[in-house]
Amino acid sequence: MMKSAPPPTLHHERVGCPAAEPRGTAPVRRTRPDRRAWGAFALLAGPLLIGLGLFKYVAIGWSFLLSLSEARGTIALGHWVGLDNYRTLLSDAVFRKSLGQILLFTVFIVPVTFAASLGLALLVHRIRRGRAVLRTAFLIPAAVSYVAASLLWKMSLFNGLPSGIANTVGGWFGMDAVPWLQTTSPPLYWVVLITLRLWLQVGFYMVLFLAGLQGIPKEMYEAAALDGATGLRLLRRITLPMLRNTSVAVLMLQFIAAFQAFDEFYNLFNSGLSGSAAAPIRTPLGYLYDTAMGSQNYGLGSAGAFVLTALIVGVTLIQGRLTGFGKGEE
Amino acid sequence: MSARSSQLSRRGFLGGSILFVAGAAVGCSTDPAGGGPSGAKTTLNVWSHAYGEAGTQQALTRYATAFTKANPDIAVKVTWTPGDYSGKLNATLLTDSAPDVFEIGDFSESLARQGRIAQLDDIYGSAKSDFNPGARDMVTVDGKLYGVKTLDDVMMLYFRKSVLSKAGITPPDSFDALADAAKALSSKKTKGLFVGQDGLGDSAILSVFSNGGDLVTEDGKAGFGSPQAAEAVAGLKRLHDDRSLLLGFTTDWWDPAALTQNVVPMQWGGLWSMPAIKTALGDDFGVLPWPAFKPGGKPVVRVGGWSTCVNAKGKNVEAAKKFVQWLWIQQTDLQTDWSQSYGLHIPPRMSVAATADKLTQGPAKETVELAAKHGRNNPSTWNTAVSSLFTAAAAKIVSGKGDAERLLADAAKKAQGEIDKQRA
Repeated sequence: MMKSAPPPTLHHERVGCPAAEPRGTAPVRRTRPDRRAWGAFALLAGPLLIGLGLFKYVAIGWSFLLSLSEARGTIALGHWVGLDNYRTLLSDAVFRKSLGQILLFTVFIVPVTFAASLGLALLVHRIRRGRAVLRTAFLIPAAVSYVAASLLWKMSLFNGLPSGIANTVGGWFGMDAVPWLQTTSPPLYWVVLITLRLWLQVGFYMVLFLAGLQGIPKEMYEAAALDGATGLRLLRRITLPMLRNTSVAVLMLQFIAAFQAFDEFYNLFNSGLSGSAAAPIRTPLGYLYDTAMGSQNYGLGSAGAFVLTALIVGVTLIQGRLTGFGKGEE
Repeated sequence: MSARSSQLSRRGFLGGSILFVAGAAVGCSTDPAGGGPSGAKTTLNVWSHAYGEAGTQQALTRYATAFTKANPDIAVKVTWTPGDYSGKLNATLLTDSAPDVFEIGDFSESLARQGRIAQLDDIYGSAKSDFNPGARDMVTVDGKLYGVKTLDDVMMLYFRKSVLSKAGITPPDSFDALADAAKALSSKKTKGLFVGQDGLGDSAILSVFSNGGDLVTEDGKAGFGSPQAAEAVAGLKRLHDDRSLLLGFTTDWWDPAALTQNVVPMQWGGLWSMPAIKTALGDDFGVLPWPAFKPGGKPVVRVGGWSTCVNAKGKNVEAAKKFVQWLWIQQTDLQTDWSQSYGLHIPPRMSVAATADKLTQGPAKETVELAAKHGRNNPSTWNTAVSSLFTAAAAKIVSGKGDAERLLADAAKKAQGEIDKQRA
């Protein structure tokens, strides 16, 4: 390409390099190109900003107003009920339980995902050969959709038949076939939920950690090694502190992802006809989906969306304060 | 990048972008399904959920074309909607692109009360009495008809004749007999009965009906909070305690795979599966209603199906009514085709059902009789909010987490609020 293309630099300049213009005339001609640049900027960025405003912020504002209205089967405003929807929502045992369950889920899944992805990153970073292959192999599940993975887990790995993969493996060790998703005592469905989320997410966070690991200068390890530090000490004194920014970002992403959990819960427990009410666990988003899309109670649904948003923002802020997100290395 | 790309001037890029956007806009506004002939003045948008049986989509399109042939000024565009149909429909109904005609599964009377679907008494005419009473009741709100039933789907208990007779079991005619049979047919590796992946499916609803109860009474009271309903739902716990239910099968009860693949000898299923079951099992199957819970109770089969409604707030209400009348009331041969040629359903018009030759013999005929005798449909206030409360309570009861009477009474109390709001 480079060779076959015409080389004239003059032509080149005319197109994309305003810096090559004679400096002397710049103050005089500044206004015109500026206006043109602004025009181009508006033309290019305008659609995006308008789209963002219209489809995000207007929608969010509308949704907030809806949360203060009685809106069943309509998204028209007008029937104001003040904070009634919020009151109904917070007094609803089902919603409160869903909040409790998602907190439990978060408290469990975030540390596990964090530890697994960090551990995997450390291992993959160490090996000399086949690093790219392994990295790719671990990352591939991140490209699989939650829906497809849920169906795979539900129908193939963890179905209730003796011929299901999990039950077959269990059978080798003398276990009886169990319906994984339907057994509530002990709650075996957690095995399905946790393994699914780990499989889908660990690869992605591992790549983030790998990037962080590659950013640590080799000299630090060499210096530490000269001082006699080895093994665990290197990890604790050098690697982990140097990964701090990455860790904080990963933690935040994981918190948000956990609170927004919906896809796998919906697909694992929803049969399409019986709905998700019989599911042993319903996430707040699942509750909101049923409220808004199922019962068409858009007022209550919107109120729930704001409660959940407030929760996520709150947790993220607290986490940011505790871990010093965005403050940079000291 | 390469030198060639740097040749692309800013203006050229802008021009290209505008062309692209314009192209996309034209592309999007072009009707992909193809409108009707260019002479049509109005185009009706008709929504249907994605039926599973092969040929259904083509059939609907064919009916639409035939309608336009008879009424050249009205074109019909059929929108086939896979996935979460009611979710998509509910969302679209709030917008300007709402369909003119749409089908719904469980008829919801709040649509009529909110003035969102048109009253259709005038298009029924003399055919009204030819629709079976259940099909009329389902779409009736305050004595007025707000929809036309297009299919009756019957759901009943399938059983393997050979397996039961080999085990010396007669087809169960009471709930106790059903539970006994399911237990006797279960072993460590196999299970006797399949009612749904979650072990619940329709069984809680059926239990309430089978003990002579109501989910929601005629006058809009949540009937499932009664002690009589609680007794029947609590009875289901036995199936779970006995471990005689197949749980976590790969497909849910609406698919006959568990039965046809010899995984269970008894399964709750739909008439629509009968052709597939017949292909797989020949004559080695029979049908039963869900048995009466105890003496004095009633056997029950569930009658569901689809109804078509006219969007009262659409721009083409008259044309839409004309289409519904033409297809679902007048064209009896197309109704026969629709209910017989793809899956197996009962045409809601009795005169059409009488001529449906696939329904005149064997288990299909028995099913039609069961539907006429024991058919119950879900109440038209049975929306997600109400049904979720009931199902959640039932799920707790069958897994032994709490007292049945208290759980159901609590759920009914909450559901009452939701029912009242729908009827307001």
